[in-house]
Amino acid sequence: MEDLGFILATYIVTFGSVAAFAIAIVRRGRRLAAQLPAKDKPWT
Amino acid sequence: MFRVARLIAAKDLRVELRSRVVTNQVLPFAAIVMVMFAFALNSDAVVSRVAPGLVWLATLFSLLILVQRSFAIENADGATDALRAAGVDPSGIFLGKAMALAVQLAVLELVLLVSAVVLYSTELRVGGIVLLLVTFVAATVGLALVGTLYGGLAGGVRGRETLLPLLLLPVVAPVLIGATRATESALGTGGATVADGWPWVGLLAVFVALFSVGGTLAFGPLIEE
Amino acid sequence: MATPDIETSATAASTRAGTGTTFTRFVGLATIVGMIALGVFGLLLSPADVQQSDSVRILYIHVGTVWIAYVAFAVTALSSAAYLWKRTTSLTWDRLAGASAEIGVLFMALTLLAGSLWGRLSWGKFWVWDARVTSTAFMFVTYVGYLAVRGLGGSHQQRARRSAVVALLAVLEIPLVHFSVKLWRGLHQDSSVADRTHVNLHGLMLFSLFISLVAFTLLYVWLLMHRQRVLAMQDAIDNTGLDYALQQRRDEGDL
Repeated sequence: MEDLGFILATYIVTFGSVAAFAIAIVRRGRRLAAQLPAKDKPWT
Repeated sequence: MFRVARLIAAKDLRVELRSRVVTNQVLPFAAIVMVMFAFALNSDAVVSRVAPGLVWLATLFSLLILVQRSFAIENADGATDALRAAGVDPSGIFLGKAMALAVQLAVLELVLLVSAVVLYSTELRVGGIVLLLVTFVAATVGLALVGTLYGGLAGGVRGRETLLPLLLLPVVAPVLIGATRATESALGTGGATVADGWPWVGLLAVFVALFSVGGTLAFGPLIEE
Repeated sequence: MATPDIETSATAASTRAGTGTTFTRFVGLATIVGMIALGVFGLLLSPADVQQSDSVRILYIHVGTVWIAYVAFAVTALSSAAYLWKRTTSLTWDRLAGASAEIGVLFMALTLLAGSLWGRLSWGKFWVWDARVTSTAFMFVTYVGYLAVRGLGGSHQQRARRSAVVALLAVLEIPLVHFSVKLWRGLHQDSSVADRTHVNLHGLMLFSLFISLVAFTLLYVWLLMHRQRVLAMQDAIDNTGLDYALQQRRDEGDL
């Protein structure tokens, strides 16, 4: 495959930063959820 | 609304006349920026080719300072709160502050234009005078409007000094493009003809129209606390 | 392809108490399947383009991310309008706008990155002063500014009103920038390089692109729901949560 470096860089950076963002959100969500009563979490 | 605007504008200009902050600090700053551009570019030919762009860039930098000054006098002693408590129409405040800012910008641009003539040996031509005037008026009004709008948003908030350029510069990009091209046409820089300039004035006019309406509507909710 | 399994753990984490629900778990699983499929089709199964050879594989990512960025900013604009409209005003709209803008900024950054890498391969340079490319960059900066405005502080209503107005002003600004850059390039000597490179997508390539759009849309929905809920919890903690947190610490002390 030509230009493998550029192509792989695109895929890795995209998937990697999306995954990092997702993990950060979920972690923050769990931390905050522990501090709040159920009435402030209408989705539960 | 317009009566309020006139009063606010007169108040701002009176504050400036007595304090002379713009005259003594911003105008020299703009002039030194023009000198610095020449140092950076280091070529008479290049400098005279890009002179219109440099004039407008220096205007934008100075605009940031003027806007901060314009709202610093409002926030001192809680002047904005007093105005709001007195039930003054926010649209009037917006137009008034924009008018005062436009007057100060016009003086500044005149100084910049003269310094371009002196420093960069820019030459004005008779045929382009009308275009030049219209361009400067349209661009000045446009810059004053968005400057006041985003200045009102950032005014009175911590960290506004760093936030204002981030918000304001992307918005005024069309003015930089339009005003620079129109000025090039008016001056004949790089062989541009006067006729080339008028579409750019059209762009500036659209900008002014959009932000005069948008700004008048948006300013109230922005400064309300 | 090491990244999707990190995402698995992220979704697994959300099955415990947090911002997850049955629906988000379903969307999350579908997203992971979609992303794996995108990796397989984009990198392995789809053929190289006749003109662009393998660099076309970057487009499967690029088109997906730019699509989400546009969707996200559109959602921000609509939610901001919904907040400002008196009959529908609710902080939920504000949080939706904020969550969407944050996702949009992330995807815009990824778009610019993938775009410039692709541009280097097919145009020979990272950046061209094309109207679309340039206004994309302006959009990115504008929404970075929007997020900064959201972070200014003050009451939630203050934040919501301020940021909603800024979001609507952005809607005014973006087309103007696009138009003026277009005019600027139009009157210059060289027409945009972007117009000279065409990709004719068909068969497996078109299918890969389709997978990309579906997978990224699912991802957007998943991220938006979680982010919006996190914002809602942060606001709730600002309001009342402090007492609750203090109570919890006291309870812990008793144990």
